[in-house]
Formats: sequence, structure tokens, C-alpha cells
Amino acid sequence: MIKYIATGYAELAVTTNFSFLRGGSHPEECVGQALELGLKGLGIADRNSLAGVVRAHVVLREKKVNPSAFKLAIGTRLVFCDGTPDMLVYPKNRAAYGRLTSLLTRGNLRAEKGGCLLKREDLLDHASGLQLAVMPGSSFAEEDALCTERHYEGFGPKEEAAFQPVGQDAGLIQSLMPRLREACGGPVWLTAAMTYGTSMRGDLAWCKRLAAEVRAPLLAINDVLMHVAERRPLQDVLTAIRLGLTLDEAGRRLEANAERHLKDAAEMARLFSEVPEAIAETLHFIDGLSFSLDELSGDYPEELREGFATPQEALRAFAYEGAAWRFPHGVPDKVIEAIEHELALVAALDYAAYFLTVHDIMRFARDQGILCQGRGSAANSTLCYCLRITDVDPTRHQLLFERFISVERNEPPDIDVDFEHERRDQVMTYIYERYGRARAALTATVVTYRTRSAMREVGKVFGFSEDVLAALSGAVWGSSSVAVEDKEARRAGLDPTEPRLQKVLALASELTGFPRHLSQHTGGFVITRTRLDEVVPLAHAAMDGRTTIEWNKDDLDALGILKVDILALGMLTCLARGFDLLKRHYGLEYHLANVPAEEKPVYEMISRADTIGVFQIESRAQMSMLPRLKPATFYDLVIEVAIVRPGPIQGDMVHPYLRRRQGLEPVKYPSDALQEVLERTLGVPLFQEQAMKIAIVAADFTPGEADKLRRAMATFKRIGTISTFFTKMVEGMVANGYERDFAERCFKQIEGFGTYGFPESHAASFALLVYVSAWMKCRYPDVFCCALLNAQPMGFYAPAQIVRDAREHGVTVEEADINFSEWNTILVQPRAGVSEGSLHPRHETMRGDMRGVHDLRLGFRQVKGLNEADIACLVARRGAGYDSIRDLWLRTELPQSVLQHLAEADAFRSLGLDRRAALWAVKGLNHAGDKDDLPLLKSLSFKAREPDAGLPPMLLGEHVVEDYRTLSLSLKAHPVSFVRSSLAARKIARTEELAGMASGQRVSVAGLVIVRQRPGSAKGVIFLTMEDETGIANAIIWPKVFEALRPIVMGARFIAITGRLQNEAGVIHVVAERAEDLTPLLNILRQSEEQAFAHPPCRVIGRPSSQKVPKGQENLQTVQTSLFPPEASGDAVKEAAALRRVLPKGRNFH
Amino acid sequence: MPLATFMKIKSALRLAALDPRALALALEPGMALADARARHPALLAIEANPSAEAKILTDILAWSRRFTPLAALDAPDGIMLDVSGAAHLFGGEEKLQAEIEARFQAQGLTARTALAPTPEAAWALARYGHVLRPLISFLPDGLDERRLARALGPLPLAALRLDTGLVAGLARAGLRRVSDIILRPRAPIAARFGTHLFARLDALLGRTKSAISPRFEAPPYLAERRFAEGIVARDGIEAIILSLAQDLCTLLTRHGEGARHLEASFFRVDGAVKHLDVRTSRALRDPEAMARLFRDRIEALGDAGLEADYGFDVLRLSALAVESKGEDQASLDDTLNSENDLAGLIDRLGARLGVRRVTRLSMQDRHDPDFAVVYVPAASRARPRKCAPRDISSDAEIPALPPRPLRLLLHPELIEAIASVPDGPPLRFRWRRVLHEIAAVEGPERIAPDWWKEAPGFTRDYFRAEDRDGQSFWLFREGLYRETIEPRWFMHGLFA
Repeated sequence: MIKYIATGYAELAVTTNFSFLRGGSHPEECVGQALELGLKGLGIADRNSLAGVVRAHVVLREKKVNPSAFKLAIGTRLVFCDGTPDMLVYPKNRAAYGRLTSLLTRGNLRAEKGGCLLKREDLLDHASGLQLAVMPGSSFAEEDALCTERHYEGFGPKEEAAFQPVGQDAGLIQSLMPRLREACGGPVWLTAAMTYGTSMRGDLAWCKRLAAEVRAPLLAINDVLMHVAERRPLQDVLTAIRLGLTLDEAGRRLEANAERHLKDAAEMARLFSEVPEAIAETLHFIDGLSFSLDELSGDYPEELREGFATPQEALRAFAYEGAAWRFPHGVPDKVIEAIEHELALVAALDYAAYFLTVHDIMRFARDQGILCQGRGSAANSTLCYCLRITDVDPTRHQLLFERFISVERNEPPDIDVDFEHERRDQVMTYIYERYGRARAALTATVVTYRTRSAMREVGKVFGFSEDVLAALSGAVWGSSSVAVEDKEARRAGLDPTEPRLQKVLALASELTGFPRHLSQHTGGFVITRTRLDEVVPLAHAAMDGRTTIEWNKDDLDALGILKVDILALGMLTCLARGFDLLKRHYGLEYHLANVPAEEKPVYEMISRADTIGVFQIESRAQMSMLPRLKPATFYDLVIEVAIVRPGPIQGDMVHPYLRRRQGLEPVKYPSDALQEVLERTLGVPLFQEQAMKIAIVAADFTPGEADKLRRAMATFKRIGTISTFFTKMVEGMVANGYERDFAERCFKQIEGFGTYGFPESHAASFALLVYVSAWMKCRYPDVFCCALLNAQPMGFYAPAQIVRDAREHGVTVEEADINFSEWNTILVQPRAGVSEGSLHPRHETMRGDMRGVHDLRLGFRQVKGLNEADIACLVARRGAGYDSIRDLWLRTELPQSVLQHLAEADAFRSLGLDRRAALWAVKGLNHAGDKDDLPLLKSLSFKAREPDAGLPPMLLGEHVVEDYRTLSLSLKAHPVSFVRSSLAARKIARTEELAGMASGQRVSVAGLVIVRQRPGSAKGVIFLTMEDETGIANAIIWPKVFEALRPIVMGARFIAITGRLQNEAGVIHVVAERAEDLTPLLNILRQSEEQAFAHPPCRVIGRPSSQKVPKGQENLQTVQTSLFPPEASGDAVKEAAALRRVLPKGRNFH
Repeated sequence: MPLATFMKIKSALRLAALDPRALALALEPGMALADARARHPALLAIEANPSAEAKILTDILAWSRRFTPLAALDAPDGIMLDVSGAAHLFGGEEKLQAEIEARFQAQGLTARTALAPTPEAAWALARYGHVLRPLISFLPDGLDERRLARALGPLPLAALRLDTGLVAGLARAGLRRVSDIILRPRAPIAARFGTHLFARLDALLGRTKSAISPRFEAPPYLAERRFAEGIVARDGIEAIILSLAQDLCTLLTRHGEGARHLEASFFRVDGAVKHLDVRTSRALRDPEAMARLFRDRIEALGDAGLEADYGFDVLRLSALAVESKGEDQASLDDTLNSENDLAGLIDRLGARLGVRRVTRLSMQDRHDPDFAVVYVPAASRARPRKCAPRDISSDAEIPALPPRPLRLLLHPELIEAIASVPDGPPLRFRWRRVLHEIAAVEGPERIAPDWWKEAPGFTRDYFRAEDRDGQSFWLFREGLYRETIEPRWFMHGLFA
């Protein structure tokens, strides 16, 4: 027998799941398993990528593994497109690492998005300082070839994909070896694997012989695809997904066995008993590597000092300059104190350059008039306030700078800035111009499998039909990462006990959380002092001319690399447009920081939940909270923003807070120590910082631990340490004399925060936007509505509700018209004041507070099918106005299809044409002659020589339907108003009547369905919002009732709900018991016309011609001809289906 | 359970057709499947199969030929019959329509029928007649234009077979029914919506012969014999088939085609029809061979035979599927003929034993050697191509075939072997009572079972082993030590 001597082994060929759809394990799992097996080291070598290495690095750091006992090697497996065999590549030091990343960058930029095309020459150019191990054979595959540059240039994929897979080619390796040795300046290894293939002993002998011939040391690997053998099913599934085949079809393209998993030193020594030196060589190999990812941090750009000696001095100067601007009447001592404190901390951590970078970007934006505001933890900083990064006045709040930056966390500060969403691109372009493509790039986001997508993909490779797949994904609500419950599967008509389905569900839940591909973050920028491609590989982003890196924000955080989030926020666009209108029409110069603060009418409006369109607090959940909370100060808004969030709701903190605020419950504190933490929120923890503070104060966590706890929650799927934190926190609090129940609630709350974090500072940033938008809505509803319409799409409500709300606030809104409208909605003709009676009684109390005096003219952006350039042309050539359709056609030369869209939108009213007449005329334009010969006849007035077609007039009901179809709103009438009489006959109340009814009363109410919402935190309850001609009503549908009413609730456009009224402090709900789909009732909008007026008028002889017929009604004198008796008509032209498509479908929110 | 079919339209799954129960739930074609499911999770939805639906419609068409030879397909959902001159055979138009409906109903098919003076009117009434009050599905021949117009006027404009966009455009102008355009001056409407709809209108009212008159097509190739008296004797029938086959082959030769699917129809005196069909493995144009195939087929019917009873008065032989076929060439060597002979043999065996029972072996892309080959019908199209270009897209990544014995034992045979743990090669083994000492060995090649199958079994370690006498074996150990405590050894094949 042969004795195996286990001297130790390091696995150097690990493919993780960041080699997308190839590796079957997370990098974290691989590292964990390697430690478990007692390996001496591990080399993460994904295919042409470094995307997964940071995660492996972080695990080691968190586990505090001694580098001398276990070494993580950072490298890649290079896969070439020119037939060169695969290679394992590990940089020896930082400089070599930089060459490796530029090598990968070169390959990435050569290929289409997502691909990497490397050639032998690329490696030879960059090989210095790299340790190479040549693998016999290439794994360049067909799908890699699909993204070749040639294909990119428009060649057919078929011809170009005809590559030959390269097998073991001894000649190639023999010729390659000396060149590689020369290029990298050291030994080059040859790998050998024993993975139970068709002739593994023969292969090993071949490798051994070849190694001797080329004088390369033999390196043992196991070419790992998964951390444990049990991953084989998932690995096969991944392969099948990658190939787009079912498991059966994939056949021998799947691995034959499960041997490519991590093995311990003894097992590897046994397998390589014939060449024990190959095992020992792994340790030599890894000993030569000294690079660590920790060497990458702190590489900030420094050119922004602007003549100051150091960034720190520049920062100090800017800060005081800004402070003087912020506090024109003298900077308070408290502020100076705070600035000094923060500056000292920044100096200690050397972050000054970072602040200057953000400061510079925001200064650019402001110079361009782009509205922007910092969000997130930056609002905790006085420094950020003075640098005008945030607008939340720190003197008015007690904010924690340590939440923003702390010595202990030793992580770079993270400033997120919101910009107007339509102008963010300008800012991004500026950054590229300022720092160059070599130093700035977007961060990546790792797109992972969610429950729904995982189930779909796994089901597909199992050969499930489209239908079953649809049923499977239908069983999941929203984009959750939670496994499908049996109940849901059964409801979808599937049997969860069926073995195949069980396998699918099990594998899908294993696949959930696996990275699928890299995508670009919407606005995260990485900027470095040196070349960025020597820090991390770059690749093409979706948009031309932009590049993205391979790491996401967590990776960057972990490595301490600077990033700035350039985010887009629709509300900023809206406010920017609003400020602009205020300046133009009212001569008022406002910006975020100087809007009159703490105005009482604004808070009164908010307390009445009159908040449609207001930032953040317009959702149904927020609106039902407002009358109970009755915000009266800015801080109340901060609480309002934070309280309707999963954190406080899951922690069951909302109701205690409300009771205390309403004085129904005494304010008491769990302990004196916590009083300081919880004082501002009446003893109930609502903010993330408070929950963390509780862990520190009450459960003896260190601040660092508390922060780790918060992070663990965010990523609990990956690192299963949640239970130890739970025990530590709850037991710690109980030991300190707190109630177990309170402790558990606090923990739950942190759990909720983990995924939807809302720290106080962030809430404060958002609350400012809440206040400003509410102020604008309250004082200038005309301006607010106009700005909101022009910033669409955004927010919770459709334009129909926004317009309706504005009209109820006394704003006159006029229809889009070719002679008056522009692309955007505009303000027109000021009135003397808010006219009598135009205010809805609900808002009567506001009459004295409103200052808006303008009417609105809807813009063409509201009309479906039009584009901005055509309208710009129409507006530019309008002059004194168009006097006919022909005039418009000739002067603008717009295509007929555009005129048709305008006619369908009823935009020719100023010419005295309704939409039917206009459409008829537009369609007839070509008929009268060619465009070419018309200019000659331009001056002549055309008499229509064609006979009158005698079209039936379009009735109001149908106009409304057509308005909805083309504009998705109607200013003429509300659809429900047409059926009010039949609703009254059914004893269905108007929504406005609900306010006057007693709680508990049974009531029926009907309206168009606007929103259906099933919040994740509400356990299957559906909230439905409906609208009739008098207002909006909300219904609550419990899950049990919903199951019975499902077809109606999900399908009806016009619904009637019957149930008990619930009126809690002015928050009104109908708790549904029954529902009815009333959509067919609305057919009346069209029917009247179909019944009677389809026939052309006949000249009735004998009628005195002098008889006056009201204008526009001439056509109504129809006379039945003898040909078609009226009784023959029936209900031939049912357009219920068409009507269903026209009316709003209702938005579904989760 | 309500039933619907769905199909993929622009990457969304949409309902295509619904049964009455599904229609009663206010679901409708064109609705997104997801929406329908959100409302009715119990909805049973299956993917639409247009080719199967087309097949059923063709079958219905073939069956409908009993009423008139002039029957045409009106895809996707209609059959057009020209019954002029045929109706009196059934006791008049109304009786004929009643009989057609009754017969469809007897077969479990819901059919909407309409009978009218013009094909367009029949088309319109079959699809939209039910919306009229009172319902109209029959308009007698010889109706004058005015009365036709009066009857059809209330139909929606869609009944003119216009595309939906045009119908919507007309509706926006307030024109919704056929009567709306009958009554109005044509010029302004034609100027805006085209003259097409008036052409349709004129065809509907029989003013012009329609340009879309259905094409009444007979099967591509058919030969028929009619007899004054019923024929009963099998010999006679077979002789007639041969002569029909000769006629058919003359036709086929003229068009350079050969039959792949033949059908013989036997019309019995009492009205019953019997069909026999044979499929062939190559394009066939040999009358003898055709006749032989039918002879074998009739033979296979056994004692009951053709149930001639009173005898057949019409025999028809038709080629249902054909493909182009060049001239048969006698080559100098016999390769072509032997290929033809093989095909002929497969056809004859197939006609006698059933096509599915005559099989050949086909390679499978599977790791598991037990499933490396599979039996497929010998007549199936996918025979191994000799010099067909390699299909790169599908074969590129399939690894080359590993070294395997040419033939395997039918069942692996249990052997006794001595080997080192955990996965060492056998040192010696006993197979069929003979002890073999191993001299050289390669392996193990580890093949894990298909885990997604039911009862997947154990992993196998295969070895290629050569004994002292130079004999080569393929044997395996079944079960790894983590799967079972007692792995067993098997002999699976021998290398030549």
C-alpha cells in the first residue's frame, strides 16, 4: 500500500457562482468550506472576472482568520478566444494586480456588454509579476463566442461561432511555455486535475510527461465548481439554464459526476499519490503571492484643493465660507463647535478629498440650475449642511454625526445625492469629463435570482410547460425572495407534494440569491486618483460611452473605496419646475432652503390628509396616518416619513406611538438610560439609530457590534449569524432588566430596518421635500399641479387624479388645444383671485391660505402618441394662430398621423371642430389633392365639394370615453356621473357622503378602480382605492373575502363595494363584504348613440327652414328611414371589451 | 373547470380561445393570461396548438365533403360549403342546415352555421348573426338586394371581414353598422377609409362576385372508381386498388412527386365510409408497392376485414401527403436499390406489424450507458445522415464519445471482485465462474445517476480492465461508500 502524507493543500482553481451560471456555490460558501476542510489556502479564479473576490475577502476578515494559517489568493481563470489554453492567473503584488485588471479591462472593452474576449498577446503584454498556471485545454465556449466583436459589428452569429473547442494540445503548450516564462519573469506551472473523467489516469500520465518536457512544475487542482458534492443538482440546473436546454436535452454537456467539489488535503494526496510533488507545489505557489485587496483603499482624487496646500485646508475654507452663507446673521457657536468637531474627525480619517469631490459635483449642478439634495446619513452632518450638500438645518435637529462617519467603523462616508431625474445625465457627463474615463466609472449591481425568476428558470430546465411556469410564478406576489408556501402553490392549481415539483421548489429556493449577471448601478460613481482600471476591471455599460466596474457598493464599502451616488428623484424635477414657474409668473425666487418654514396652513392641510401629489406622504397608508398623527412641526414630518415603514410596523411600534401622541397612554421609558435615546419619539423607538442605540445602551453592544448587527440583517441570507445576534441582544436586554417582549420587538424592528433602512437623518432629508412640496401645493395649487404634470411619470397617482385634485382646489384646467397648448402644461391668464364656489367644500378652510391665481392649459405631453419635436414645430409656427386644419397642415408640414392624434385628443376645439369633425377633416386631407400643388391654392378658401356624409354627432359620454383613451383623463365629465341615476336606484352612495355617515353603518359605494395595493406587511389584506365624480373612497378587503371576490376585485374597472363603514379620526374605510363589477353599466356612455343616431339626417320637406335649431344639434333631427326599422337593431355593437381597455386598469402596488 | 387556451403574442401570454364556462366568467380572448389567473386561479389554461387546431379543421373539412364536393377551408375557424345544387338531396336548404348542425352536435362539436345567398353573407351571419334580435342564421336563396340589405344592415361592420383598426376608425367617425355605410354617400367614406370596404359590402349583398370567393379544393392527387353495384369480394377490391394506384402514380409522375401518406376510401352502398391509410418511409411512386401496402393493411384487419356487407359502390385512392421525388435511377452499383429495398422492407413490415413496431437504434446524448442508445421507429425521418453538414449550434459542446465497448451486455452481470477501498481498481474478479487476473486498468470513470429522475440509483465507477490473457472488459462498481455500505461489482461489456 502507498502511504499518503498530507502535507497540506491549497485549492487554486475555484469557480464560484460569479462565473455566472457555471459555478454552483457562493464565494462565501467556498471560503467557509475550505476553512472547514483545513486547507492552507484558496484561490478564487472566476472566468475572466474578479467580481466575486471581495465577498471571499470579507468572510475571512469577518472571521478574523490568521493569514499565515489560511491564505486567500485573488486571481482569475483566463479564458482566451484565440485557442490559447485556459490559465490560472494570480498577481504577486499590487502592481501585478493592476496589470491583471487592465488586462481584463482590455478584454471586456473589446467585447459586447457581458462578454470578455482575450487574446494571447494581451496576456503577454500584462504578464509581468503574475503567477501563471497553464491548464490543458480551453473552456472557451459557444456562448462566449456569441459576443465576438465581429458579431457585434453585424455579422451573423452562426458563421462566427464556428470555433473549435481546443482539446489537450501538447505542441501548443510546448511552444507557449518559454514565452510565458519570459513575459511573467518567473516559473510557469502546469495544472493537473483528477476528476474521475473518462481516462483520468492516462491524462495524469500525459500531464506528468508534458510537465517534464516543458520543465514546468506540476500543480494539483480539483477544478472546483461547487463547495460540496451535494451541490451537483443545482450545478446541473445552472448548466442547463446557461445552455437554454432542459436537463434531459443537456445530456453529456452536464458534468458526469459530482467530483468537482472542494476536497481536503488527504483526499487530494490520495488522488495524486503518483505525483505527490503536485500537491506540495500548491503551497509553493501560494507562498509567492503577497497581494491583498486591503491595499486598494483610500485612493481619492486630490486635484480639487483649488490652491490650498492640502485638501483638509480647502475643506475648512469651504466649510466656513458656506457657514457664513447659511447663517448671514453670524454663525452660532454651536455650529462652529460642530464644524470643528467634524473637521477633526475628517482629518483623522483623511476623508477631506472625498468631501471636496461631492462638493464640487453639487456646485456644478447648482451652477447649471439643477436642483439637488443629499440624502441618507449625510444629513447628520453640519459640515454637509455648510457645504450645501444637504439642506436639513442641523441646529434644528439633534443629529448624530457618528452615524455618518465613525472612527470605529473605518468605512468611507457614503453620500447619496438626489438630482432632478431629467437632468441627472448632465451631472454624470460632467463627472466623466472632469475625471476622464480612466478614473471614473459606474458601480455594478449584482442582479440575483428572486423567487419568481428562480422558479421560472428551474421549472424550465425541468421541462415544465409555459402554463405551469406561469402558474408557478403566479404563486409569488411581487419580487420577493421568500419561498413559495404550499398554500400558494395549491391555489395556483399545483400539487406541492408531487416529487418533481418538490425538487423544483427546493432547487429554486437554493438558486434564489444566486448572482445572475452584473448590471450597472443607476448612479453610483467610483472615482479614483490613479487609473481606475488598475483597481478593478471595467466593462461597457448599457449606455454608449459609459463604463462600469465589476463590484457593487457593498464590495466598495468593504474595501474602503470612495463612491458617490448620483441618484435621480422625480420630486426634485417637479419642485425645480415649480420654483421656475413661481419665478416666471409670480416673480418669487425660492429654492429648497428658503421656502417659508413652519407655516401653519401647510400643516393644517397635511393633517387633513389633503396630500395628493405631495412627496412621500401621498400613499394610502401615509394618508390614513396623517389625521391621527396631525403633524404640526417639521419634526413631526420626519416621524411621519419614518413611521410608515416596514421597520416600525414589523416591530409593532406604530400604535404605541400614536396612542402616546394622542394622549391615550402615558409616556414612559423602559429605563432612565433609554430616556435620552427615546425622548424625541415619546419612548417608542422609530428610527434606525434608536434601535442601534438600544442595542448599545440596553444590551451592552459596542457601537461597532451594533452596526454589524444592522448589516447582518441586510444580508442575512448570506451569512447565517442572525440567531447569535438575537440571543445576544434579547438576553442582554433581559439581563439588564428590560421586558422580553420589548426586547424582541426592538430586534424585530432592526430586522425590518435591515432591508428597508430609514435612518432619522434620511427621514429628515425627505421630510424637507415633504414640507416644500406640501407648501407649494397649499399656497400655489396651480403651480404645483402644473409642475407635477410636467414631471410625470412619478408618484402614486395618475394625471387624472392630480388634475382632479387641482380642480377641487379651485384651479381651472383647460383642454389641450392646437392654438393654445405647448408640449408642457402651462400657466395662463391670472385671475383676480380664487373664484367663489370653485373650491370643493372639503377644502373650504383653505380659501384664505391660497395665493395661486392662474389657470392651467394642459400640454400635449398628456396626449398619447405625440412626440416633443412635432409639437415644438407646431408651437414654433403657430404665430397668431391656425385658422383651419388645412392651415395647420400646410404651415407645419406635420404628417397626417400626428394630426390624427391631435384630432383624437380633441385638440381642435378652438377651430370649432369636435374630435369627430376634426378627425373626418384630417382623414380627408389627402383626398382633396396632393400636398405639392396646394401652395398655389393656399389663399383660396376651399369649399368642400364632396357630399356631406352626415356623421352622427358624438355625445358627451363617448367624448369622455375617447378622452380617457387619448389623454387618460377627461375634463368634460367623470364617467361615473353618467350612471349616477342607476347607482342611486341601487342605493349606492356618493363617496363624498361617506364622511357624514356613522362608523359601523352598512354602505355601498362605487367608483373607478384607481389603485389596488397589497402591502407585504399587511398579511394579504388588499387596499382598494376608487373614484367617483365626487371624490375618492378606500376599501379594505380581508384575504378571506378577497378569495371570494377575486375576479371582481382584480378585473373590474368600475366596481361597487358594500360593507361596513369605518371612520377612525376622519380616516374612512369601507370594509368590503360584497363587490360587484359594474363595468358593463358604463356601456351607456356609448349606447345611447348606437341606439338612435346612426342614421344620416334626411331633409324633411315641409319643415319651415326658419325654425331655429340650437347650434351643434342640427344633426339630431334624425328621421328613421323605412329601410331599417328601429326594432331590428338589437345590441349589435357591444363594445364592452373596448371600453374595458380604455378605462384605467388601476395600478397594482405591493 | 373553465378551460382556455393561450398563446404567446409579443412575449405576453394571452388567451386565445375559451370554452363556454370560461366565457361565462367574463374572460375573453386577447386578455393576458396573468390577468385571467389573477381573477380566476382555477382557470385551466393550456397552450394553444395551432397546427393541431388546423388539423382538426382539415378533418372536419374532409368529413364535410359528404354534403358537397365543393367544400373549402376558411382558416382559422371556418368551413365554407357551396351547397347550391346539393341541398335538394337533403330535402331543401333548411333541412340540410338542420342536419349539418345535428351531425356536428352528435360529434360533440358546437358549430355556428349560417346559410345565405352569398359566401360573405353566410360568413357574416355565422359569426355575428347571433347578436341580431331576432337571431338570423338563414337567408333563403333568391332574396332581392333590398331585402338582403335590410336583413344584414344591423350587423356590426366587423361582419364585413375588415381588420380591427379599420373598424375602430369607422367607429370613431360614428359608423358602426353595415346600415351606416349603406345609407351614406360613398365618396367621402371611400376617400378616408379606402374602397375596400365597399367591395366587401357589394360582395355581401351579392352585387358583385366576391374577390375572396373561397377556393374549393380537392386533395392534390386522387383516383376514383364508381360502380353500379356494390363490390364485396376482396380480390376484386385489391385489383381495383392496384388500378387506382396506377392512375395515381401516373398523376404523381407527371408532377414529379411521390406519396408519403396514402388513403383508400371505401364508400359503402348504405352510406358508411371506411378509410384506410398508410404512411411510407420515402416518397413512393410504385403502384405495385402501393397495392402491396394496402393488401398488407387489409390483411392486418383480420377476420372482420373491410365489413363490406352490401358492398362498396365508390372506391377512392388519394395521396394526402406528397413530396417531390426525382426520377428513379438505376445505378451501376446496387447501393440505391439496396437502400430502396431496405425502405421497401421497412414499409412492408410496417404495414403488416404497425409502423411503430419496426425500429432501429439511435444514439442518445446521455452519460448513463444504459440509455446511450434508444429504439426509434425505422420509418421515422431522423435517420443518421451520411454527409449532412454538422449542425454546429447543437453539437459543438457535446464531448466526443468516450471509449466504450461496441455492444453492452443486455443486463450488467454481477461479478465478484477484489479491489482496494474506496475507489481502487479491481485486482481480480470472477465472471461466469472464471477468475480473471487484472494486468492493466484505466479508471475509475465516475458516472453519477440522473438525479432528477425517479429512483435515480447509485453512482457507478467504470473501469477498462485487461486481464493476463489480453481480454478487455468494461466493468463497474455500483455505489460510492457515502451512498451504500456494500458496493457491488458488475460486468457491463467486452471490448473487441
